[in-house]
Amino acid sequence: MSYPPQPAPDADTEPFWQATADGHLEMCRCQSCGLWLMPPLERCRKCGGATAFEPVSGEGRLYSFIVQHHPAISGYLTDLPYAVGLVELDEQPGLRLPTRIVGAEVSDLVCEMRMQVRFEKLPGGEFTVPVFAPVEASDALG
Amino acid sequence: MRQEPGSRMNRMLQDAAVVGIGRTKYVRKSGRTTLAMAAEAARAALADCGLTAADVDGFTCFGTNGSAGPSQVAHAIGVDDLGWALSISGGGNIVTTTVTSAATAVLSGQADVVVAYRVLGSDTRYGKALGTIHAEGEGQFSAPHGYMVPPQWFSMYARRHQHEFGSTSEDLGAIAVQQRLHASQNPHAIGRDVITIDDYLASRWICDPFRLFDCTYEVDGAVAIVITSAERAKDLPHPPAYILGAADANRFGGSPYQWDDMTTMFSRDTAPKLWARTGLGPADIDVACMYDCFTFTVMATFEDFGFCDKGEVGDYFREGRATYGGDVVVNPHGGLLSEGYIHGMNHHFEAVLQLRGQAENRQVPGAQTALVTSGAGPFGGALVYGSSQL
Repeated sequence: MSYPPQPAPDADTEPFWQATADGHLEMCRCQSCGLWLMPPLERCRKCGGATAFEPVSGEGRLYSFIVQHHPAISGYLTDLPYAVGLVELDEQPGLRLPTRIVGAEVSDLVCEMRMQVRFEKLPGGEFTVPVFAPVEASDALG
Repeated sequence: MRQEPGSRMNRMLQDAAVVGIGRTKYVRKSGRTTLAMAAEAARAALADCGLTAADVDGFTCFGTNGSAGPSQVAHAIGVDDLGWALSISGGGNIVTTTVTSAATAVLSGQADVVVAYRVLGSDTRYGKALGTIHAEGEGQFSAPHGYMVPPQWFSMYARRHQHEFGSTSEDLGAIAVQQRLHASQNPHAIGRDVITIDDYLASRWICDPFRLFDCTYEVDGAVAIVITSAERAKDLPHPPAYILGAADANRFGGSPYQWDDMTTMFSRDTAPKLWARTGLGPADIDVACMYDCFTFTVMATFEDFGFCDKGEVGDYFREGRATYGGDVVVNPHGGLLSEGYIHGMNHHFEAVLQLRGQAENRQVPGAQTALVTSGAGPFGGALVYGSSQL
């Protein structure tokens, strides 16, 4: 039995994981100029302003995706294949989260499809991770 | 005329040259230490140019883990007083920086003769991530999803390119097939059996849209090159390979998944800098050693360097324009895909061999210029070697 890689939060990222544990998606944002930052930073990379975590809609579009067939990573050596995508959140162009894709057949995935966040416990530890499903699938499952 | 930033330094770079090349065999499992392999390659490179340990006062390498360091390797081959040692943290993205750092050490008088090398042992394999993993930095957002190794990063790029430009599996396969054909003429290559497009399409999925033959061949081995001044090169046995110019580019802190336009790579930034600094363009290049950890790396960087337009790489390869008798010979040694994964240092070996006219039955006739790219995704570099100075 192997477990998936676990996040190792640091001072800049800890609030992200606190939010997911509560079932919320929050992203790092500059409190001066409003720029969303991913990965999170202590200060804004554009204006140097202080940052804080703010809730986001949890909706976006699928920029790209892959279907992993080869057993290569701890915790993902069985139940293959699985799909991973990059979701660009609606809040800002280029504000991307890597995510496992759930609630869809891999053959139904296409770039640019609308996606909605869900949350799952990550086996092997205490973390909750955001995952994304196509919006239609989310609706169907209520 | 406005002077391109960096052009002064690049005119200086061509006062340095690669004068010696050496390597080990490339094998799947050597049972040897990285120190032993790096020392063998360094000795071979010095013997190639008629120098000894007593002539060497600089050593540099790059790596991410498991690599014997410059001072260790220098000591192992009998260098007693190493004046300049530089170990650079990084992968294929940092090869150009490693070579140009050696050149600038020579040009600034910090060293007279520098050995630059890369060594990879069986403990260093990038395609898998097993054991207990605590993912730090930007990796903490990706690794928990089972997304943390290079074939995954760059198949993500390939998918986007397919979406925007209609490129296909057959287009990626055309690159794999051509490079394997080149490797079949290279006794040093680990993958020498010719493959067809049907073989490619029948190979198993690694990470859709990548199949087995889209991925590099990870091996044990080492490559070393010797860099000294153009002045000193005149007294050495082989024609020098002059460094005509170089450029690097880095964005997004090196995060493979934050790169904005995944139909392109670092080369989008590197190529215009390199062409401006050298005054050269794709039509001036005889040999292109394109960094090819994956087929798609060739596709994206080849477009970025201006050899063809977006979405045309598949046709370019199928029409024979990337091989002997075509526009430019791409990876005549077979590249990382078929010769073996020495992290791009083997591209430098091949470029020098071609410019010397010593590549035997895979020699590109009359080769005078060689482009060598390094890296994939958000960061990387490139340089041009020439058989004469600009």
